[in-house]
Amino acid sequence: MKDIPHFALVLTVVACFSAGSLAWLNTITRPRIIAQQQQELDAGIMQVLPGSENGVIKAVENDGTVSFYKGYRNADSTSLIGYAFLIAPQGYSSNIRTIVGIDSSCSRVLSIKVLSQKETPGLGTKCEEIRSGETAPWFQEQFRNKPYADLILDKDGGTIESITGATITSRAIMLGVASRMELLRDELDIPNTMIN
Amino acid sequence: MTLTKEFLKGLYKENPVFRLMLGLCPVLATSTSVNNAIGMGSATLFVLLSSNIVVSLIRKAVPGKIRIPVFIIVIATFVTIVEMVMAGFFPALSKSLGNFISLIVVNCIILGRAEAFASKNSVFRSILDGLGMGLGFALAMIIIATFREILGNGTWLGIPVLGESFNPITIFILSPGAFLTIGYLIGFFNWFESRRLAGK
Amino acid sequence: MERSLRISPSPHIKDAESVTRIMYMVVLALIPAGVWGVYIFGTQALWVIVVSILAAMGSEFLFAKMMKRPVRVFDGSAVITGILLAYNVPAEVPLWLPAIGAVVGVGIGKMTFGGLGYNPLNPALVGRAFLMASWPASMTIFKTAPAGLSLSGIDVVTSATPLNVFKASREILANSGAHTAEEVTQATQTISELYNANAALFFGKVGGCIGETSVLLLLIGAVFLMYKRVIGWKIPFSYIGTVIILTWIFGGTEGLFSGNPLFHILSGGLILGAFFMATDMVTSPVTFKGRIIFGIGCGVLTVVIRLWGGYPEGVSYSILLMNLTTPLLDRFTKPTPFGGKE
Repeated sequence: MKDIPHFALVLTVVACFSAGSLAWLNTITRPRIIAQQQQELDAGIMQVLPGSENGVIKAVENDGTVSFYKGYRNADSTSLIGYAFLIAPQGYSSNIRTIVGIDSSCSRVLSIKVLSQKETPGLGTKCEEIRSGETAPWFQEQFRNKPYADLILDKDGGTIESITGATITSRAIMLGVASRMELLRDELDIPNTMIN
Repeated sequence: MTLTKEFLKGLYKENPVFRLMLGLCPVLATSTSVNNAIGMGSATLFVLLSSNIVVSLIRKAVPGKIRIPVFIIVIATFVTIVEMVMAGFFPALSKSLGNFISLIVVNCIILGRAEAFASKNSVFRSILDGLGMGLGFALAMIIIATFREILGNGTWLGIPVLGESFNPITIFILSPGAFLTIGYLIGFFNWFESRRLAGK
Repeated sequence: MERSLRISPSPHIKDAESVTRIMYMVVLALIPAGVWGVYIFGTQALWVIVVSILAAMGSEFLFAKMMKRPVRVFDGSAVITGILLAYNVPAEVPLWLPAIGAVVGVGIGKMTFGGLGYNPLNPALVGRAFLMASWPASMTIFKTAPAGLSLSGIDVVTSATPLNVFKASREILANSGAHTAEEVTQATQTISELYNANAALFFGKVGGCIGETSVLLLLIGAVFLMYKRVIGWKIPFSYIGTVIILTWIFGGTEGLFSGNPLFHILSGGLILGAFFMATDMVTSPVTFKGRIIFGIGCGVLTVVIRLWGGYPEGVSYSILLMNLTTPLLDRFTKPTPFGGKE
């Protein structure tokens, strides 16, 4: 029992050293990590809202968290291109983090980009597959300029070609885009008639 | 044991993965590509080397009864350092290795070396031991990842090596492929070792 | 064979049975279903079978040589592995696929563990699982049966096995909120058509893997093997019985006890699996109770995969999983010798 104060002292000293050095390192890496994430997001938004490269992107908050983004063609934010939002629908084995750009009337997808996913290699991961001779993933390219009403997989009678052997992944992305679009419409008070 | 031997033992004779079979979980999980293997291997090497040095430095000040919690704090500190530096400076690698970086804390090989070697030996010997073991671990990961990436994806370090017509054997980048590859490699090294000993 | 495999105290009776004779009886029993497969899927199916058998025998020879073990290419076990693997793949696969499957099945599934008698898993199923994990796209393209033979009303280009259609329709019904009324009506109609297609399913006029379609011809082979006492009744009957009960209770779309067990028995690879793969002597238990538990386990897993899993068919995975329990089942169900204590 006599040892206990000694043990406590040694552990305290070691823990203090550890915490101190980590705290110091954190001041260096934290801003970099945040900047990195922001940069990834910005690059994603610019990609799904074509034309926003020279304009500005504004985050729209709802209850203190960012709900969606507005992309403008020019720096004084008068010419609206459309909206962008992040979705993370549950795929087969992971949440497929995807950024989606839609037009200003909320009726058409402009473009989508999968940021990260951990689907089955060789099947679900093909949502990011770039076929030889092409420059963009074929599955995501199918969403380009797709009207809301056409967000239907070929298996359900639509025109979006699903990934062979990965219907769950294909459907998750498609439904994720469609349902978030509906929510955004409510948020922006755009009546349904404009869509249909 | 000579100093050279102290360093070399981790590479082959006491290779953590193929001979001691320690720390297999991260090996199985992150050897899907050579790139990941290099990342994971160097992260482990860094943690192993640093924890060996610190554990050896403080070995006389730490009472035996609380050595395990002290070692774990030391190891966890270095792992967190690796994690933060990787997220800040190598975001792509940090993304593909994911949680496995934090799991280096519970990698048996690191606590194993701290307990079995660094806590009983001088700093210099502990450095050699950490370097050897860490390099042995990284090397083993790269060998395993080479098989898995070439067979399962047709590429090596991201460069296509088997041509367009090759239809990748996807199972090799899934978990069963990890067990198959590691099983056959361990079998091969056992066979090689028994031949070597028989030849002596 | 059934009788001589039972663990019992001496004296033991010696018989003229040999591994080779048993193996070739199984081969004989499998031939009718293969002939039917070639008839409905065309010569491509024949090539798949031939390539698979040759690759299995070739790798048996090579691996035995490599490991300096006695070469037993002609004892029939490699032939069976080749046939069963070919029967478990669609006829449209490229020919290198069954070849790799056979090499993996014999090489990794059997020879690595020390050859016939030491393999923990059914080699043909190891090969199939390997192919399924590696090239799922090629493994799930099913040819519809030729015109005039196809299952009435089901018009699908790929994935045309009855179980695939069943699963898709069932998912629509389970989630009817997310689909239009038209789709729901169509799904209901498809399921009732499937339920009324028993004759087509029984005679094998449907899409599927090469050797699994004709229940009638598989049953003829199975009866022959049972009559010759090469296979027992315990595993297949407890397996199929479990599937009947569970699909009747849970398989329906209108609540409990509304399923159609007959459809589940006749479709997919259940008959092939229950009689020819689950009964593999090396990888199934030898005791009475062990075999019953083994069969029930296969049945439960098959139904779970078919009704709630990601795949439409679960026979091969359930047999593989239960293969792994065989040593445990044998240990826990070992009968007490006469006069022995608990």
